[in-house]
This record gives sequence, structure tokens and C-alpha cells, in this order.
Amino acid sequence: MRKSKATILSANLEAIDCSVEASWEADIIIVAVPFEAEKDVARKIQEVANQKIVISISNPLNSTYDGLVTAPDTSAAEELQKLLPNAKVVKAFNTTFAADFSSPLIDGKQVDAFIAGNDESALQTAAELVSTVGFNPLVAGDLTVSRTLENMQLLLIQLNMKYNYNWLAGWKILH
Amino acid sequence: MYNLFFQKYNEKVPLSDEEQEQIKKYLTPKKLRKKQYLLQEGDVCKVIAFVENGALREYAVENGKEHIIQFALEGWTISDLFSFFTGEPATYHIDALEDTELVLITKDAHEELLKTQPKYETYMRLLITNAYIALQRRLTSNISLPIEERYINFTEKYPDIVQRVPQHMIASYMGLTPETLSRIRKKLANRK
Repeated sequence: MRKSKATILSANLEAIDCSVEASWEADIIIVAVPFEAEKDVARKIQEVANQKIVISISNPLNSTYDGLVTAPDTSAAEELQKLLPNAKVVKAFNTTFAADFSSPLIDGKQVDAFIAGNDESALQTAAELVSTVGFNPLVAGDLTVSRTLENMQLLLIQLNMKYNYNWLAGWKILH
Repeated sequence: MYNLFFQKYNEKVPLSDEEQEQIKKYLTPKKLRKKQYLLQEGDVCKVIAFVENGALREYAVENGKEHIIQFALEGWTISDLFSFFTGEPATYHIDALEDTELVLITKDAHEELLKTQPKYETYMRLLITNAYIALQRRLTSNISLPIEERYINFTEKYPDIVQRVPQHMIASYMGLTPETLSRIRKKLANRK
């Protein structure tokens, strides 16, 4: 329930090898599985995810990393919302590489983490979580903006492979 | 997951299957392990919790001493209503005495249900009226009855709590020291 930075940082974390039990206990559910596996997980947790914040972190990449498998008029997050109609799906943490979590400062700049969703209080909570992890939270818009965010990560992956960023790269809006 | 919740709801306000499904959309299932908090003093209370299974207590801490103001077993609801309705920080802690399954109604869900489900408003009115009556009766009992009689009433009214909750917590709920409660229990046992 508590969302203060200190509390989140001092929280006891425990991995539970059961998506239903873990989601039943959770206040916030992070679906940390590839896009192809989301349908199966969503089916399992649908009842216990009711009214909860569900964070979609996946990017629906094709097998050659040169495109997305989702149609242009949807996104992984929107598909997850259809599977969990009574949950508050938020897109977050999809525009960052795993290595960014241990180094959220790159070249002295705090990496931006974009958030999208339809529920104001869920966006606020997700922004606090993003901030606690060390990124700069930027609410980009409603859940349809996930289409752009997922394409942004596709581009970042392609740039990483082209210029060899060693999977330590991120987005930063300079203004 | 919502069986007891809707059983109790239907006892107060009968619902059609369709109304039940509509209300279910707004409910949050939540599991707490023993000793886990539902609410901590200083946080804003954002839920009314219905106990499907398990047990909780609500208490204040003053100078390091706990004062229990409510227990909640299966079929009961628990919340810091002052904080829930005003948005002010809670003055109570609520934690689980056993592994517990809850059905939560968040403030947002509560507001939405009030707007869209007339029978929810009736249900809430009855719930809060009953809570007020219980509070008034407890207050009257506290100021007018001898302590032995209060304890007898408590054990007759809440035998499940006596079975499942440690004696020192019952003493705290009654505003007694554990030693005083122990003396009262001994005295009553000798009378039999």
C-alpha cells in the first residue's frame, strides 16, 4: 500500500513461482514475460488482477528484430488491456535496456522512462515506481501511445546493434 | 474469491446476477500474509476491506503501546473510515493476524459504484449504520457495565475471536492489562 520512496526501497522482495498467487498478493503486477507469453499469463491472472495496476514492459518484436508483430493500430499494452479488461494496464520500462536499471545515469544524464496509460492514479503510481528505480518518469499519454513507445524501443535495439552501445543506452528528451 | 462477500451483500440487499457481475468489476482481490499490513498510521486509507477468509486487527499505538479498537473475521468489513472519507492520514494500523483473503473496495471504485449502482448505496448505508450502532453499543457497555460482565458479553458475542486471538490482544481491545484479564478469567472459571 505504501508508495513512499523509502518504503519501496526498504520493502522485502520475494520471488514467488506462481503467477496467480503472486498477483493475488500484489498491489502492482509487472508482467515480465515476452509478448508471446502474455496471453497465457493474462488468462491465469485475470481474476486476481481485477482493478490492479498491471505494468506491460514487453516489446512485440519479430524474430529478426526489424519490426513488430502487432498491427499498426494496436500495441502489446493495448492487447494486454483487452485480456485484462478490469485491470489498469500501464506501459512502462519498455524503452530501457536491462543494463540501464543498474546504471540509470548514462553519460551523466538520467535516462527518461516513458509511461502510458488510461488511469490517472495508476499513471501516478507507476511514475513513483519509475522514479524510485532511478529513471526520470515521463507520462507520454494514454495507452494508445504505447504504439509509439514500443516502436521507440525497436529503433533503440536496431541502433544498439548497428553502433554497438553494449546494451547500455536510453532515451533522453533534452529541452 | 467473492463468495462470502456476495452472500453477505445479498443478505442485506438482494442482487440480480447481472448486478453482481457489474459490481464484481470494481472489486480488488487481495491476499495478506500473517503480520502483513493492510494500512499503516500516517498513510491515507484508500480501501474498505471485506474479509473472505482470515483475521485482522485495527489498532492505535500510543507511547509504544498498542490499543486494539477492532477485530475483523470472515464476513466482516474493516477500514479507517475517517481517513477513507476525508483523505486525511490514517490514525490506525490494520494488520493480518492470520493469512487472510480480502475483497477491497478502493475509494475510486466506491465513488464509481455510488454513481452507477443504486443498490450499492443502500448496501453502504446499511453497513455504515450497523457500524455506528455497534460502536455506540460498545461505548455504552464500556461506560456502564462491570468489567466481568463486559468480558462475559464479549465471549458470548464473539466466541470465534476468543478462540483465534491471543488473550493479550483481547485484553488490549477491552482496555485491560493482560494480568487483569487473566484474573477476571480465573474468577469467572472459579464461579462455575
